[in-house]
Amino acid sequence: MSYDDDYGNPEPADPKKIQSEVLAYLYSRFGFDQKLFDNFGLYLGSKGKIYLGPKQLIKEPKIVTLGIMIARADGGIKPTTNLFQIFGKQITKNYIKISKEQAIVYVKGEDMNLGDIQNASDGYVLIKYGDIPLGCGFLKGHALKNMMPKAKRIGLKYI
Amino acid sequence: MDSIIPEKFKERYCQLVDDPDKFLSTLMQYTPRSFRVNRLKATVDEIKERFDEYGIAIKQMSWYGDAFVSENPEIGATLEHFLGMIYIQEIVSMLPPVIMQKELKQAKFVLDGCAAPGSKTTQMAAIMQNNGTIIANDLAYGRIRALKFNIEKTGTLNTIITNRDLRTFPNYQFDAILLDAPCSAEGTMRKNMEVFSTWNEREIQKQCRVQKPLILKAFDLLAPGGVMVYSTCTFAPEENEGVVDWLLKNRPNAKLEKIAIDGFKLSSAIEEWNGEKFDSEITKTARVWPHHNDTGGFFLARVTK
Repeated sequence: MSYDDDYGNPEPADPKKIQSEVLAYLYSRFGFDQKLFDNFGLYLGSKGKIYLGPKQLIKEPKIVTLGIMIARADGGIKPTTNLFQIFGKQITKNYIKISKEQAIVYVKGEDMNLGDIQNASDGYVLIKYGDIPLGCGFLKGHALKNMMPKAKRIGLKYI
Repeated sequence: MDSIIPEKFKERYCQLVDDPDKFLSTLMQYTPRSFRVNRLKATVDEIKERFDEYGIAIKQMSWYGDAFVSENPEIGATLEHFLGMIYIQEIVSMLPPVIMQKELKQAKFVLDGCAAPGSKTTQMAAIMQNNGTIIANDLAYGRIRALKFNIEKTGTLNTIITNRDLRTFPNYQFDAILLDAPCSAEGTMRKNMEVFSTWNEREIQKQCRVQKPLILKAFDLLAPGGVMVYSTCTFAPEENEGVVDWLLKNRPNAKLEKIAIDGFKLSSAIEEWNGEKFDSEITKTARVWPHHNDTGGFFLARVTK
């Protein structure tokens, strides 16, 4: 039995499937460099979870988990906060820069209403404070649904 | 003031230190807060600049540029901590990866034998710049969640988590191994005074019965030409020099290398304990006494094959 439901059988994901769905989505929506993940392996966990981890795997003992979950392809494709916090600086489109006051609200996990929106269309977006990638949100019109995982939400004093 | 320290504890260790009064009084004070800049997500200059803007005073360690101490209790409430650009970590906990930095930069296949909660795993990954593969193993199932959380937070991508008793681990050959062994944790008393109330010598014996097979197994998993660091956060010679001595007696091809960290005071090994004289090579291992660098207590051995 696996440690939790985050990771199923550590099988390498069907490369074609990843290329055609997840990577193509990440590249086209966020403008990532197509070679960004070349040094790592992509793996498919349970429930469409896509992990980015080391290229070299082991057969024994059983892998509990590896690397970091970068997206979930279960129905639609959803990028993770961890992906954006690691590679967010490489994102060239569909990002929203927010103010310091908004950033404090965002990291608490609250949904927000945004004013004038540039560089982003409806769907998943990167939230940036200055040049610093904070995480993921889902944009619909001027409404931003906060995708910050509950375990990460925090009140910050210094930002 | 040091009345909560058990008499037997004082009897054991005051004879080993250069300044017993200072040793005991230091144990009664909390360790300064410290953190490491996570080079997977930030540069030292960036962090210095940001903390300067916040007005939070931080002091960089001369012996390891990524390490900082601060009097400020609110480091954990900064954006940089939230984003994993810094990692709150005890100073002594940073030492094992520091003394194998050169090898880690070249290593393709690394084992962290007792990895949770992942402070040293993520530090090693940062030194490796996410290259190669680290097997982060821990027997304690309940601690895996913290390990996973810290790996994600720091942006560590080159790690595989396993949950196996290291003694039954398959026979891989690793370029570098860290065995930060489970121990009686006497050196952590400054952050957790409760350790004093439960301290007893039986615990020491219990721990070294586990450590001895662990060090042999870890050494067997080391590739020829590889390096292994054995470390504990305890003072007991039975768990430190005694365990390394056990390795030397049972694995004749195990060699020790002298450890030096420029700007950080390391102390000599204990050469004899309770009438038992250790292998003369044991002088190459190193101790950290809390009053020398204002840290927790620690022990380090650098083993090659």
